Amino acid sequence: MSTDNVQPDVEDESSLLSLDTWDRIKHTERFIFLISVGFVLTFSYLFSRAPVVSDVTQGYHGLTITILIWSIFALGFNLLLGQTGLLSFGHAMFFGTASYATALFSIHVFNEPLTIVLVGVLSAIAIGAVAALILLRLHTVYFAIVALAIGQFLYFLASSPLEGITKGINGLTVSRTPLLGLIDLDHRYSGILGELFVNNSYLFVGAFFVAVVMFITRIRKSPYGLIFKAIRENETRASFVGLDVWRYKFVAFLLSGGIAGLAGSLLTLNKQLAIVDRLYWSISGDVVVMAVLGGLGTLAGPVIGAFVWFYFQGIVNGLPTLGDYWLLMLAVSFTAVVWAYPDGIWGMITSLTQELREPKTLAAKVKTRVAGGSSAEESDGGER
Amino acid sequence: MALLETNELTKEFGGLTALQDVDIAVEEGELVSLIGPNGAGKSTLINTITGRLTPTQGTVTYAGTDLVGMEPFEIAQIGVGRTFQTASILPELTVRENVQVAAFAAEHGSFRINFLSRRDSFDEVQRLTDDILDTIELDDKAETEAASLPYGDKRRLEVAIGLATDPDLLFMDEPTAGMSPAETEMTVDLIKKLQSEWGITIFLVEHDMDIVFNISDRIFTLHQGELIAKGTPDEIRDHPAVREAYLGGEEQ
Repeated sequence: MSTDNVQPDVEDESSLLSLDTWDRIKHTERFIFLISVGFVLTFSYLFSRAPVVSDVTQGYHGLTITILIWSIFALGFNLLLGQTGLLSFGHAMFFGTASYATALFSIHVFNEPLTIVLVGVLSAIAIGAVAALILLRLHTVYFAIVALAIGQFLYFLASSPLEGITKGINGLTVSRTPLLGLIDLDHRYSGILGELFVNNSYLFVGAFFVAVVMFITRIRKSPYGLIFKAIRENETRASFVGLDVWRYKFVAFLLSGGIAGLAGSLLTLNKQLAIVDRLYWSISGDVVVMAVLGGLGTLAGPVIGAFVWFYFQGIVNGLPTLGDYWLLMLAVSFTAVVWAYPDGIWGMITSLTQELREPKTLAAKVKTRVAGGSSAEESDGGER
Repeated sequence: MALLETNELTKEFGGLTALQDVDIAVEEGELVSLIGPNGAGKSTLINTITGRLTPTQGTVTYAGTDLVGMEPFEIAQIGVGRTFQTASILPELTVRENVQVAAFAAEHGSFRINFLSRRDSFDEVQRLTDDILDTIELDDKAETEAASLPYGDKRRLEVAIGLATDPDLLFMDEPTAGMSPAETEMTVDLIKKLQSEWGITIFLVEHDMDIVFNISDRIFTLHQGELIAKGTPDEIRDHPAVREAYLGGEEQ
């Protein structure tokens, strides 16, 4: 996902042109779609099987699925914090609730992957609708803390009073049935498909990943994308121009919760297990760290954040000696990145490439100014 | 009947009376100004009318609707817009986006489910946005991030946002404060244009007496929360209570 793939040494005029072209296409939906599909198709191979990249990650195919799922979670979380400016420390409530709804539905009602995932998402939206009635009256730190409290309330509810239903720390086992009764998710491919994707489970999660990226891209390009940002920047002003801020926040909360719930459902299906830990507050904390580390308010940021997090947890953790300190190392990297680049790793990348381009962008700016500033470029922003 | 009417409007903060039985009436198409020394209650009056504050007692009626108890967004939706004293813009958004947000609120109402439609597909919103950027003369800075505008432009953007809500009555809280003489002149021309060409009723709060006496149809004078005089510029200029309380003869 590099920003600069244009030839830097071509003659000035045409290189300006290609940078302009790049700026125009890089936020189009088609481009984002191609990038995310390309990412899903190659990620597992590059990470866990390609001989050239690194041998420490060899064989970690399962981890790539986990990273995709948590990327979905972080993307959903980011919709609320990065886009709308609401910091929730209770997103485990969606993750865990969807996890249980998925498992319980599969055990007691009907077990088909797509159906139980949908049930999980709906359950997260339902819990979000109830929590919003309490939470959206609150602001800033009160919002964050009460969200945390609601999450913990659900955790305790699931771990003891409802232990008969949730099976507490032992968890509920979900058996995996064929998708739509036809496609075996555990089917292992051989040959080139096997080399790329290993199994259908990866493609199943990958398809949801692409769908979520496109869904969020569309939201960002819709009036909501603008209105969410307006609420983030100045809620009072947003209401004085005539916007029903409460309802827009409500929708942001449900969309974010629904996407977080999707991640919870997919994880349950993937691990074939729903456990009470997914409601625990530290889950909410993890997703905050991923989104902030990667870059708030961006599309790439949460994905990068989830990747780095699991790289440390899954790979560095397994290294001899160093492994014991993975959490410490992650914490130090987190602090260092956020200290130097408050916009996270993606913010760091964009500002570095911006600097590389500086002379050219300056020249381009001067040019458009001389030409009367006729560039009415659509700037929606992959970066805020 | 007047477009906007307040009746014995009173606002108390604890023991302090910020507004005391204020009766004002604004006719459609007028340009009225509110003057008064610092702390007279001018901002409190605007805030009470536009829903930011709830009056302790009294009524506010706009085009037959009782505004007391309505949310600010509801008041904006029925056609009462406002600009803020300190530029209350959306700093990280571009100039165009700042105006667009208000244009969406004007065209789509307070809430609409459309998060799966691209915003460039709403032509009427784009048209309104372009119109306003053109009127306010910010079209050449449309793609600039609002935070990086010079002060005067920020104040003009503030007016542009207020205008984009498509108001019939627009409250303007000291729109020229801190502006250079050239910017002030531009803003005064703009205010006249809003009244004459856009047909907007204007309620102006202003410190600059030259402007107030130059462009107002009528002037209200507030002093220590009470309305001490109302009338045409000529009547106010020679009003003894106003001179006593506020002008202190310095107009001569």
